[in-house]
Amino acid sequence: MTILFLIIAIVILASAVMVVTTRNLVHAALWLIVSLFGVAVLFAMLNAGFLAVVQVVVYIGAIAILFIFAVMLTRREMRGHGKPLNNNWWISALLSLLTFGGLAMLLSNWDGFSQTPADFPSDFDGVAELGNALIDPNQFVLPFEVASILLVAALVGAVYIASNRK
Amino acid sequence: MIPLSWYLILSAALFSIGLFGVMARRNAIAILLGIELMFNAVNINLVAFWRYLDPTIMNGQVFAIIVFAVAAAEVAVGLALVISVYRNRKTVVVDDLDLLKW
Amino acid sequence: MPPINFNDIEVLLPLIILVIWACLLLLVDLFIPKKHKWLTALLAAFGLALTLGFTLSQLGSESNGFCATGKPSICMVVLDGFSVLVNALLLLTGLLGVALAYGYLKRMGIERGEYYTLMLFSISGMMLMAQASDLIIVFLALELLSLPLYVLSAFARSNSDSQEAGLKYFLLGAFSSGFILYGIALVYGATGSTSLSQIFEIASVGTSSLLLTIGAALILVGLGFKVAAVPFHMWTPDVYQGAPTPVTAFMTAGAKIAGFAALLRVFGSAFPNLSEDITPILWALSAATMIVGNLLAIAQTNIKRMLAYSSIAHTGYILMAFVPYGNPEVAPVSIAAGLFYLFAYTITNFGAWGVVIALEQKESKGLQISDYAGLRRKYPVLAGAMTVFMFSLIGFPPTLGMVGKFYLFRAVLSGGYTGLAIIGVVTSLVSAFYYLRVVVNMYMFAGEPKTDNEFWLRFTIAGAALVTVVFSLVPQGLFAWASRAVLKLF
Repeated sequence: MTILFLIIAIVILASAVMVVTTRNLVHAALWLIVSLFGVAVLFAMLNAGFLAVVQVVVYIGAIAILFIFAVMLTRREMRGHGKPLNNNWWISALLSLLTFGGLAMLLSNWDGFSQTPADFPSDFDGVAELGNALIDPNQFVLPFEVASILLVAALVGAVYIASNRK
Repeated sequence: MIPLSWYLILSAALFSIGLFGVMARRNAIAILLGIELMFNAVNINLVAFWRYLDPTIMNGQVFAIIVFAVAAAEVAVGLALVISVYRNRKTVVVDDLDLLKW
Repeated sequence: MPPINFNDIEVLLPLIILVIWACLLLLVDLFIPKKHKWLTALLAAFGLALTLGFTLSQLGSESNGFCATGKPSICMVVLDGFSVLVNALLLLTGLLGVALAYGYLKRMGIERGEYYTLMLFSISGMMLMAQASDLIIVFLALELLSLPLYVLSAFARSNSDSQEAGLKYFLLGAFSSGFILYGIALVYGATGSTSLSQIFEIASVGTSSLLLTIGAALILVGLGFKVAAVPFHMWTPDVYQGAPTPVTAFMTAGAKIAGFAALLRVFGSAFPNLSEDITPILWALSAATMIVGNLLAIAQTNIKRMLAYSSIAHTGYILMAFVPYGNPEVAPVSIAAGLFYLFAYTITNFGAWGVVIALEQKESKGLQISDYAGLRRKYPVLAGAMTVFMFSLIGFPPTLGMVGKFYLFRAVLSGGYTGLAIIGVVTSLVSAFYYLRVVVNMYMFAGEPKTDNEFWLRFTIAGAALVTVVFSLVPQGLFAWASRAVLKLF
């Protein structure tokens, strides 16, 4: 388990670094897929099998592909004329390192930091439980409905913005 | 078993890489890719907390699903905006978008 | 599976009506021919008015909705005096937004029914924010109000400025969502819950956890981006300048109200125990926002950009009301003062933007401050109204802005934040310089301004000017209402 986790973590982080530094945007989007796939494996390791599937279907299947489409439609940028990073990139790098250092330091001072996972109760069905929670009025039906309204609003907006002018 | 800390550190690292991408990249689509990395860092956190705190309370997983939905909605609107800007200006490099400056 | 409780529906009734209305409007608009788009605007306004009626019928009732079984304190949404007041204010904002938009869209050739649908969706997000009592809902409400605003900013599809504004607003907004989400994840990790009331209970037992504080700070950073507080304001002026003017008017007022509601819900009800750490940050944010916003506004020659910086500066004043949020003796008065100021700002702001719209010509012409020269000679009523709005934004009597600032500074002083009050007064004096420049241009210089003569625009401007003056003479009733609404929260 530990070795698997380490390999996955290295894959996720290395491909994430490629995403933010590669000149060619199609490659960046492909690296994003690798990174997202690593996260999906992590979800499976955390016993969240449904989320792992959704990660692959929604994130890789829809979002990443949408990115590749957008890159193709804005073709002139694909070859990346000029530099991929702006001139102040080292300030950004410094800020990100500081953010990471700060978060890591603060997290390691937290008393729940080295917790081990809680035990699952016997006959616990994670997927059924999640499904119930999403449509139970006493749990999360409201967020579920609001998310659908959000998707409608986004759909209307995206279609309006991207559609061809007459 | 793997301690919670490993997940949290991984998530913090992924978040920081995404942050770097947002701040340092010049292309709008690349910035959006950085934002996606940040969202994924959040999801790792949420699911890890769900698993390690109390897996019978579904808050963490539900929130992760909501994050999926929101990310999809944001990407749809964002890429539509990118394409529309490209049509008007033939560029999506943020530094070149300088019609509005004081 | 338990059936949906009727009470749950009742708590959210105005919101549900508005969302259904928005969806129906989207469909009905398909059958409205291009020449008669006024009908869509009218229907949108009617929906808002109907929702306002239902909201006002909730006055005085208090309830929770979508609660966990057996745990009545863990709920998704609440209904209280504060939410009713804020919702009413938001719906008023929406009505004013429709009134300003109708003629403008027609004149600029971007008259499309989607505009009103998206606006209704955005308002429903704002209303949900005012009623949220769970971090999941807070986040969803934030996205529901922001996504349509990104699209509305880019609504003028053939205008590069507008497109650019939309893209910049989107990138900034999505970036800030990342921060808010990470903060929420940490808060969830520290407490094991996303319910605001439960977070409060867990946080008030024992020492405050470090994780919780970082989470709260990250949420504050994200909200800071959303309300354009100063270190996070970089692209805001670009957005406000580039977006179609009625959208800017709607954003500056609506997003401020919703941001204020979010701050109050999240920090006021979940993190009052963290006030020792959070209050100094808020203090600094508020002071920096007032100073930078007002100083940068002086240099502007474009009226939209000037009002954009003015809007940032006003975020600082409104944040001021939030600084003493952890002190239960001062907080109710201070929050009530903040609400009153929001009302004053909304009315004044819509009036001022209305005048800007009246003078704006196609292709972003008529937007320089020098274009206002000679307005008094040609259109004395319009010039008079603009003078009232400028006075109100500075805080001169007899306007709502003056009364609002008076309540605000008084509350802050009674909380013991003398330094902040002094910064507020000094920056208000500085702001007089650039607001009065508009007035001087209108009254002293000669010019040939062109304006648009559209009934609803004139009506809004005149109404806003009237309310700004009249309510400043009798503000006590309104302030008492705000105080009563807020008092129960603490």
